[in-house]
Amino acid sequence: MNADNRKGELVELKNQLRQLAGSRAPGVEDVKRELYKKVISYMTIGIDVSSLFSEMVMCSATSDLVLKKMCYLYVGNYARGHPDLALLTINFLQKDCHDEDPMIRGLALRSLCSLRVMNLVEYLVGPLHAGLKDSNGYVRTVAAMGVLKLYHISPSSCTDNDFPAMLKTQLLQDSDAQVVANCLCALQEIYLAEASRSDGSLKDRDSLYTTSVIYLLINRIKDFSEWAQCLVLDVVSKYVSSNPEESFKMMDILEDRLQHANSAVVLATIKVFLHLTLSMADIHQQVYERIKAPLLTLVSSGSVEQSYAVISHLHLLVLRAPTVFASEYKHFYCRYSDPSYVKKLKLEMLTAIANESNTYEIVTELCEYAANVDVAIARESIRAVGKIALQQYDVNAIVDRLLQFLEMEKDYVTAETLVLVKDLLRKYPQWSHDCIAVVGNVSSKSVTEPKAKAALVWMLGEYAYDMLDAPYVLEGFVENWAEEESAEVRLELLTAVTKIFFKRPPESIKMLGAALAAGLADAHQDVHDRALLYYRLLQQGVEIAERVVNPPKQAVSVFADTQSSEIRDRIFDEFNSLAVVYQEPSYMFLDKEHRGPIELTEDTGILPMDSKLSNDVLPSQHVEANDNDLLLSASEREESRGGVGNGSYAYSGPDLSGFDTPSPAAPSNNASLSSTSHTSPAIDDLLGLTFPAAPVPTSPSLKLKPKPLLDPATFQRKWSQLTIASTLDHTLSQPAALPSPQPLLRHMQAHSIECMASGGQAPKFKFFFFAQVADSPPSTGFFLVEFVVNTSSGISQAKVKADNADLVPAFGDLFVSTLRKFGSS
Amino acid sequence: MLHCVFLLSEHGEVMLEKQWMGQQVDRSICSWFWKQLHSGAKGHVPSVIAAPAYYLLHIVREGITFLACARSEMSPLLGIEFLGRVADVLSDYLGGLNDDLIKDNFVIVYQLLDEMMDSGFPMTTEPNILKEIIVPPNLVSRVISVVTGGASNMGRILPSATSSNVRWRASGIKHANNEIYFDLMEEMDATVNRDGFLARCEVYGEVRATSRLSGMPDVTVTFTNPSILNDVSFHPCVRYKSWEANQKLSFVPPDGSFKLMSYRVKNLKNTPIYVKPQLSSGEGVVTVNVMVGIRADPGKPVDSIVVQLPLPPAVASSDLSANHGTVTHNHNTKISTWNIGRIPKDKAPCLTGKLHLAKGLDRLHEYPTLLVGFKIMGVALSGFRNDKVDIEHVDYRSFKGFRALTRAACYEIRT
Repeated sequence: MNADNRKGELVELKNQLRQLAGSRAPGVEDVKRELYKKVISYMTIGIDVSSLFSEMVMCSATSDLVLKKMCYLYVGNYARGHPDLALLTINFLQKDCHDEDPMIRGLALRSLCSLRVMNLVEYLVGPLHAGLKDSNGYVRTVAAMGVLKLYHISPSSCTDNDFPAMLKTQLLQDSDAQVVANCLCALQEIYLAEASRSDGSLKDRDSLYTTSVIYLLINRIKDFSEWAQCLVLDVVSKYVSSNPEESFKMMDILEDRLQHANSAVVLATIKVFLHLTLSMADIHQQVYERIKAPLLTLVSSGSVEQSYAVISHLHLLVLRAPTVFASEYKHFYCRYSDPSYVKKLKLEMLTAIANESNTYEIVTELCEYAANVDVAIARESIRAVGKIALQQYDVNAIVDRLLQFLEMEKDYVTAETLVLVKDLLRKYPQWSHDCIAVVGNVSSKSVTEPKAKAALVWMLGEYAYDMLDAPYVLEGFVENWAEEESAEVRLELLTAVTKIFFKRPPESIKMLGAALAAGLADAHQDVHDRALLYYRLLQQGVEIAERVVNPPKQAVSVFADTQSSEIRDRIFDEFNSLAVVYQEPSYMFLDKEHRGPIELTEDTGILPMDSKLSNDVLPSQHVEANDNDLLLSASEREESRGGVGNGSYAYSGPDLSGFDTPSPAAPSNNASLSSTSHTSPAIDDLLGLTFPAAPVPTSPSLKLKPKPLLDPATFQRKWSQLTIASTLDHTLSQPAALPSPQPLLRHMQAHSIECMASGGQAPKFKFFFFAQVADSPPSTGFFLVEFVVNTSSGISQAKVKADNADLVPAFGDLFVSTLRKFGSS
Repeated sequence: MLHCVFLLSEHGEVMLEKQWMGQQVDRSICSWFWKQLHSGAKGHVPSVIAAPAYYLLHIVREGITFLACARSEMSPLLGIEFLGRVADVLSDYLGGLNDDLIKDNFVIVYQLLDEMMDSGFPMTTEPNILKEIIVPPNLVSRVISVVTGGASNMGRILPSATSSNVRWRASGIKHANNEIYFDLMEEMDATVNRDGFLARCEVYGEVRATSRLSGMPDVTVTFTNPSILNDVSFHPCVRYKSWEANQKLSFVPPDGSFKLMSYRVKNLKNTPIYVKPQLSSGEGVVTVNVMVGIRADPGKPVDSIVVQLPLPPAVASSDLSANHGTVTHNHNTKISTWNIGRIPKDKAPCLTGKLHLAKGLDRLHEYPTLLVGFKIMGVALSGFRNDKVDIEHVDYRSFKGFRALTRAACYEIRT
């Protein structure tokens, strides 16, 4: 329909409506109904029919309910845009509010409240008052929600007319459960909004979570509709039970809710149970057993959308109680018809619940997916096998399976498997013999993905003794240097060629020369630098170079975890929320009122809501982002050091973070991947001596190391593992001296307290500091501080965590005295 | 709280929108969503995602997408369950779900959405109560409206259940013939892995009831072997304590048809029929041989046996035939379907033939999964059986009936 045509039709409609307005002829209602239907159908497909507003209102005098409803719908849609015309509707809506039919009263009241026009608020108050006192429950339910709508339009006229108090009375006294539920719903919203509007006190809202209200609600739980039950259960989960007996009694009353057909009710009940038993470890465990069956039923019997949301919750529970679901692994087998987002989540579940008792079955199942038609799932399942292998002790069978993948001769399967075999070898060097025999058969031509290529090259370099043709395969790679697009592969190639040179020099010297020459000429700076470094090391002597590049290795014990336990704990508090489905705490993406005390995202400004969300299409992508949120990126850190830093972090590869640091005397034993780029602590210490000596620490009781070293990942790990040992409140004497973080950083640094990360905008700044006890071994004796300061008020708070809790008081004194000196010096 | 619901057609067109909050959500969110849905592999967009300013929950039923927007933290299950209920109610009212039905009946859909949610919170979703508020557009009401002249499809009385103390049942219900039927419907989920082992086999069952009883009847149903059930969930009318104490279902039924209970029985040892595929590939050709037969006789005939073979993308053409039943191939979906029906007494049904791989491929690397369907009338596969039904608090005789049916829901054979 083109624009002219449509305009014509609208004019036509307008005329017809106008003619009908005053008519009382028989059958006029039918004509009206047809016309209304036409108007609404235009509205439905998105055509603006607001120009008919006055005609629609004129025709609204009718006793036909369907006509009325269509009219209400129309008016509700366009009143906001036409506040002046909306006044026309008030008259007939108010009249309908006094109709003898309770349904019409209810409908009219709902429509009246849905107009949402500011200057019509005065017409709402009367009907709402009457509605709340109506003899019919239906009208009262509408009125209770109407109060909330009024509040959204004009908070002051809602509170001034004492509506919240009326709702509260109704909540405690009304005989109709639906009215009670609606009052509860409206009150919660209003109190929450009130708190943020005025003084931020949640006193009013907390008055809903008192024993008397909670008991009243629980005792009536069966009267409520399933949705109202969800609401009530959510309120109950916020109640803190005073003693175990009370908790037991509550759980006893609510237990049959776990058998409800509505999954939302079941989840809300589970949340209540988990919260009530948080402090009772053994009962908490029993709760897991109790909720297992209902949850598993929801996983397999409902719609895929439902099972996705439920499995997300199970995933969370599994992190807390891995053994509970271990025997139920079959529920997480993928079905052919599952959409890939469900399959992916199920793979994660299978990985998470794998233990000694079920690994064999789970791995057998996962191996079948490797031949799945869906390539993404095939890849994921191979990765899952690898993850299980890395977390198990008995990997015998798994290694065999992995090696079978290589025989499938499917490019992506080979690629994923090579990466895994590499990781496995780093953790379980004892399997090298079996693995290498099979890897040796892989044709290097069939490997095209950079990650897989790099893995293959690493293995060739590492196990040059076991693979006869290793030098010749590598030679092929070196010859194709110019065609190799991935810097990762070229870096790996340099290292592998150098390593193989130490082992089988005659066969590889020519290739080494070629590789170094190509590397020095490489446009990529890391490749160039690494080539140069190897070249210089080799100039110092082959033995020295070998000691640095290829020292004996220790097996990797633990690979870095992806999501900190602190974040997982937080999500756990938000059980039965969208946050769980996202696998992120909601304070990371929702509005302020849901944020916890740690307002990191706001402080650092790293995660402004919009930019975050626009990237946020799939939940799992943000695990990495999470980690980075906690600490600023490397470049910012350098900046904040104000140029005083020694630059020793510049090359530290992120994947080294999970490695155990060896004793200072020996060079890093993990250097195989990017050995030269990672300077060992010992060398850092040496370098540190060339800098001007740091001022002597002021506190005699505790001496801090002048230049403590700690890499961000270790900091983060320690931060999540340790508990807060002390919280220090301090008011800065001259807060105005802090327009930017830099002066404070330099000041603290001068007193041997280094900054790991800082962020925020005036007047609120946040810092992460660390310090180390003098004379302690490299990886111990650290103090970690989260320091939040408000520069306008000068109020600051420091949360201290420490490896050695005994030293915390002394460190606290030192920290505060250092702060005190700031600004006065 | 849900801000609004959009109903999107199969092609992503907004058929209908319903806003519940003051701040209206712009329709443009739908095109954003549609783009997400079609920007990657099929099935990669989870049911809960984040859009620039909202959280979007969606479900798809019969090709129609029900899309809801939320702005603050809420229970995801509440949203998904509600959308599912909307789909169920609409399908019940309109006698199915498709673009035309929704467009033709938009006035009814608006009325329903209006009653089902207020201010973003679910209200009345019980179909029996909704039908008292809004009369479905079925033949009966059309006939009545013609006769009486009042062409309103609107209940003139307020649902009496709102004033009844049993919220799912109105007071003063009268029927000329008093009867209650129970349908035991079981669905079998099973996966046979590549080695031919039954990796898992579970049964999901439902007891659906259709009640046309006058007054306030109190019904008790007993079963012969309730202990085999692993997990149960009930309609709100069922008294849980009675089930817990002596495994009896005791309830005052809603009027009309409703889902009385659902249950799960895990780890069945056997499937009623076996399907044994053999695929061997080489030189660009895959030789297929699939045998089907009875494994554990359920006591009643196994009907409507269908074996579907979705061909992997690497397969260029297929040439399959069977000694019993018919074989058809859908070129769009690349699914070959073998319709067996009932297994004959005199021979074992067998599907044989060859799949030709695309040029350059020697062997098949992705193994297809066979999907099997069947139906058994008169038997609940799990062995769950009713014992008797008692009706109290009534002074009439009533007819009671029980039926059972088993279907394969998700019976997969990996090759």
